[in-house]
Amino acid sequence: MSPPDLAPTEPILAARGITKRFPGVLALDHVDLEIQAGEIHAVLGQNGAGKTTLMNILFGLLQPDEGALYLREQRIRFRSPHDALARGIGMVHQTRRLVSAHTVLENIALGHPRTRGFLNLRSTRLEVEALGNRYGFTVPLGARVWQLSEGERQWVEILKALYRGAEILILDEPTAALTPPEVKTLLAGLQTLVRDHGVTVLLVTHKLPIVMAVSHRVTVLRSGRVVARLRTADAAEESLVQHMIGRDIAFRTMNRSAEMGRPLLQVEQLSAFNDKGLLALRGVSFSLREGEVLGVAGVTGNGQEELAQVLAGLRPAASGRVRLDGRDVTRLSPLQRWRMGVGYIPAERIEVASIATFSLVENTALNYHFDPAFIRRGLLDNAGLEQLTQRIVTTYNVKAPSQYARAQHLSGGNLQKLILGRVLSRNPRLLIAHLPTQGLDVEAAAFVRATLVEATAEGAAVLLISEDLDEILSLSDWVAPIYEGRFGAIIPRAEAGAETVGAMMAGVGMKEAGVR
Amino acid sequence: MWELVARSLEASTIFLFAALGELIDQRSGVLNVGLEGLMLFGGTAAFITAQTTGSHALGFLAGLTLGGLLGLGHGFFSITLRGDQVVSGMGLWILSFGLTTYLGSPYTGPLGLGRIPSLWGLSPFFPLGVALVAITWLLLFRTGLGLAIRSAGENPAAAEASGIPVTSIRFLCVALGGMLAGLSGATYTLSYNPVWNYNFLMGWGFVSLALVFFSMWNPWILLAGASLFGIMWQLSLSPELILPGVLSRYVWRTVPFAITIPILCIISTPWFRTRWGLAKPEALGRPYAKG
Amino acid sequence: MRLGRYELTLEPRPARPAIFTALTAVVAILLALALSSFLFLSSDTRLIDAYRAVFSYAFFNPHGVLATVHRSIYLLFCTYAFLVPFRAGLWNIGLPGQVYAGGLAAFAVPFVLRTHNPQTLALPPGLLIVLMIAAAAAAGAATGGFAGLLRAKLQVNEILVTMMLNSILFWLVAYMIKEGGPFMSATGEGESFGLPSSLHAPLLLGVPVTAVLALCVAVLLDLLFAKTALGYRIRAFGENPAAARYGGIIPVALSLLVFLLGGAFAALAGYHYFAAVPGVYKIPGNYGYYGDLGFYGIIAALIARGSSLGAVPIVVLFAGLSVGARFAQGELRLPFGVDYALLGLLMMTFVASHVLYHFRFGWRRIPSEALQPVPTELPRG
Ligand SMILES: Nc1ncnc2c1ncn2[C@@H]1O[C@H](COP(=O)(O)OP(=O)(O)O)[C@@H](O)[C@H]1O
Ligand SMILES: [Mg+2]
Repeated sequence: MSPPDLAPTEPILAARGITKRFPGVLALDHVDLEIQAGEIHAVLGQNGAGKTTLMNILFGLLQPDEGALYLREQRIRFRSPHDALARGIGMVHQTRRLVSAHTVLENIALGHPRTRGFLNLRSTRLEVEALGNRYGFTVPLGARVWQLSEGERQWVEILKALYRGAEILILDEPTAALTPPEVKTLLAGLQTLVRDHGVTVLLVTHKLPIVMAVSHRVTVLRSGRVVARLRTADAAEESLVQHMIGRDIAFRTMNRSAEMGRPLLQVEQLSAFNDKGLLALRGVSFSLREGEVLGVAGVTGNGQEELAQVLAGLRPAASGRVRLDGRDVTRLSPLQRWRMGVGYIPAERIEVASIATFSLVENTALNYHFDPAFIRRGLLDNAGLEQLTQRIVTTYNVKAPSQYARAQHLSGGNLQKLILGRVLSRNPRLLIAHLPTQGLDVEAAAFVRATLVEATAEGAAVLLISEDLDEILSLSDWVAPIYEGRFGAIIPRAEAGAETVGAMMAGVGMKEAGVR
Repeated sequence: MWELVARSLEASTIFLFAALGELIDQRSGVLNVGLEGLMLFGGTAAFITAQTTGSHALGFLAGLTLGGLLGLGHGFFSITLRGDQVVSGMGLWILSFGLTTYLGSPYTGPLGLGRIPSLWGLSPFFPLGVALVAITWLLLFRTGLGLAIRSAGENPAAAEASGIPVTSIRFLCVALGGMLAGLSGATYTLSYNPVWNYNFLMGWGFVSLALVFFSMWNPWILLAGASLFGIMWQLSLSPELILPGVLSRYVWRTVPFAITIPILCIISTPWFRTRWGLAKPEALGRPYAKG
Repeated sequence: MRLGRYELTLEPRPARPAIFTALTAVVAILLALALSSFLFLSSDTRLIDAYRAVFSYAFFNPHGVLATVHRSIYLLFCTYAFLVPFRAGLWNIGLPGQVYAGGLAAFAVPFVLRTHNPQTLALPPGLLIVLMIAAAAAAGAATGGFAGLLRAKLQVNEILVTMMLNSILFWLVAYMIKEGGPFMSATGEGESFGLPSSLHAPLLLGVPVTAVLALCVAVLLDLLFAKTALGYRIRAFGENPAAARYGGIIPVALSLLVFLLGGAFAALAGYHYFAAVPGVYKIPGNYGYYGDLGFYGIIAALIARGSSLGAVPIVVLFAGLSVGARFAQGELRLPFGVDYALLGLLMMTFVASHVLYHFRFGWRRIPSEALQPVPTELPRG
């Protein structure tokens, strides 16, 4: 698309000299950001760069420690999102901000000035429908939010912002949880909004292709500082990557020896319910040999969590069977599976895989407190655990003040390395890794990936569950797109193209679930 | 017979007021397990005030005020400091249990004021309770404020992002909830049983708390539940009206408490949860931090 | 919060050394004692005399000291009963109910074996005493375990269940000892039959054997949590149940276990008070008072932050205060319930110290730039 006239005019929204500190972190360091009316302005930066913090300040959710905001060159302070909304700034957050138990209409009406006093949802409905028609998209207003797909939820949030009269729309990582076709629809929709309706869009992302595809200008953040400010048309992808990361790290396919070992895991027609009592995993079958990686690609919420938990023994199977070494383990407890060599890295590092108030040593013990080698007459062998922790810290390069620091004081990447090290130190034969690199910075993510590859070299079978298609394609021997609890197919890596897998992640062109 | 019914309905208003306050609290996401404490304090303050001033109205006012203040105290700990709401609630209860025993003991005995006039033998508080149920229902489900309250209890981050001041909303709710709990205690000591005794509530507040869970956070179901428990309570006090001579009267006193446990179990079964459980405010008991 | 040019902020404390933990406990207790001066103000005695009366009776008067010791043992068991489930993140407020269950079960042994009538003594008294203790512990464990099981299996709120059990057992005791109930004393005074002297718990230096038990448990519990795998599991479950489950811990078994233990401890408190304290040896008519006294166990465990040994001095102090306050009440004509008021005050100062424990106050000078008025409303357009 052709960028609009980008002659430097007065910015519609500007942040100048913004500094924000969190305990122990300088999240933003004198950041300047200027947005012109009618543009799509991309803010690019890797995880932890400070993008979300900056957006939260623009939206009044956080207050800057230093610096100020300017709306049409007038200094302004947003005490809360309420103020920002009243000034025509709407935000679609990185994680959905919708009440899932309420209807779409109730969500859109929430907080609107018109809802003071009695609710009149009927007139709201008419207005929202009219608005949707004008911008050319519809969402089911009567449905409850939890019934919608992630793509639909995103549109609900956009529509909600527009209904509030937003002229400046901030979208924080809007594509994170979308399937490739949904991403396409979203980007096209945003372009229409900007071109035909004069909306200004501030698009926050760590994904370069998106920046290149739709933005007019781009501001690159690194470690809380602005490192580049460019017109997209003038920017080369490589230089943006360099700005973002600080040096060259190319994403490459991991080279792995192709030797596969004995069959290890057979999963037959496995189904499971989610916490709401709905069938979330619907008859998944596959098998895995030692040294193999099966990459399950899909957008979160399509049964991946249930799959991982059922395999780890943390959720009962509704039907189907799991065999390890030919032995039926479907009904075994998590502990019994640990003992048979099943290692599990849950997606929730803080909520499930670690104990925030426990020290590193005590967190290591989480996978060892049943191990007879670490128990003497009922007492935990603390010296042994200390040694083990020290080994993990050194081998996996965990940066921590001490072994007795609390896990809550570790950064996400270091915590994940500790968890990974702890699980791998048990030499699992089957490793279930669920979103192992989510939220990590590029270096930590690369380290985690390399470690997974190493584990396969030692003969472990890996079930890698990820949203990141590139990650899946670079690590897996087999790729299984998952959609609504079913595998679309199980495709050998050599035949798996990003397009076909991406389409299947969205439920397009699902073949009969193939069983190898 | 009518007397028994009227008395039962009066008993149920005490459950109802307290539980309605707790329901509003919980709808906004704040759990106050110290409900009994608020009632003890409200009841004692009302009793002492009424006895010293000779005015029922001032008594109720004192109960309402103290209840509201204690509710705000719970709010400060659980909303502002983001402390553990169970710690704060239990603290409030033990605090009340201890202090009211001390403060109230010089006043042990009957109130000594005339009874509050009744309508055909029915305490005026019951119609007031029904009206409050209707008002609460209207507030929660038919107003923008109610939508904001429910959203704050389901997903405070979403509410904040929509421009709702979650903290203020929650404070409003704990204050309202506290006042209703204070009213409940005052109704007990000024109308239902105008005698001050050591630990006079003996579990009414905890039963009310359980009623909120039974109600699936719906004021109308709460009204039904409270009425049922009012009747049960009254019958447990005078079982001879129905089953004269069967079992000791002490055994009958255990019945309302004993029935609570199986009901709690039923509403906790997976079957019930998947069918009706969606009503539980998602963020109940969880502190909320902006950003 | 803003005060002029300065801003008062609350920040989470990053690290809390052990000495700080002890210090907050001491501060909480001292503060409660200071606040309790107000309770004594209402009487016409001087404040210092009131305190002297309380403390000298509780810790120096021979009768008072014994009463303090008896009460300490009782409260220690109540403290453990709350503490063990609390380390697993669960609230056992069923102390009174479990105390009553223990008392009833202990008295059921001589009742069933008809040994409260000295003529028909069937078994050696030593064995009977052991049986009574075992029966009490079993009954308390069952009462507590019931709540634990419901919690574990169905996620039923344990606070509600234990509270309901308190009321149920309160009335069951009334049924058993009053108005012709099975345990009613021959005199028909609304209290239970007295234990024959052969069934009184043996005394060591005038103190019942339960004291030894209580002190041993104090040491063992701290060891359990600090050193053993089981203690680790309980703590892990208390801090993060989801992580514990991930780590192979079975939630049902663990919740049940801590409540069985907790219930048994509370029941031992019941056994101690009703069957081991010289001069009692019966379930008295005012048993409700002893039951409610058990709530001191909650606050002792909270202030000691889950350490059983740390709870010992706290409990002794509380026991002395409540014994001394009861005495001073009579002497100085204070109103009833000074000991309860103290319980409430302690809870208040505990919550306050809890805040200080987790947060620190910070003063920040607001930069003058930020003080300049900035419009939050602009004309649109
Ligand atoms: N509420 C918070 N408390 C402490 N640290 C935070 C908080 N929010 C963000 N941070 C830290 O600030 C930095 C920037 O985070 P964020 O803005 O979320 O980055 P991005 O959105 O670019 O991934 C990170 O180091 C993060 O850990
Ligand atoms: Mg972000």
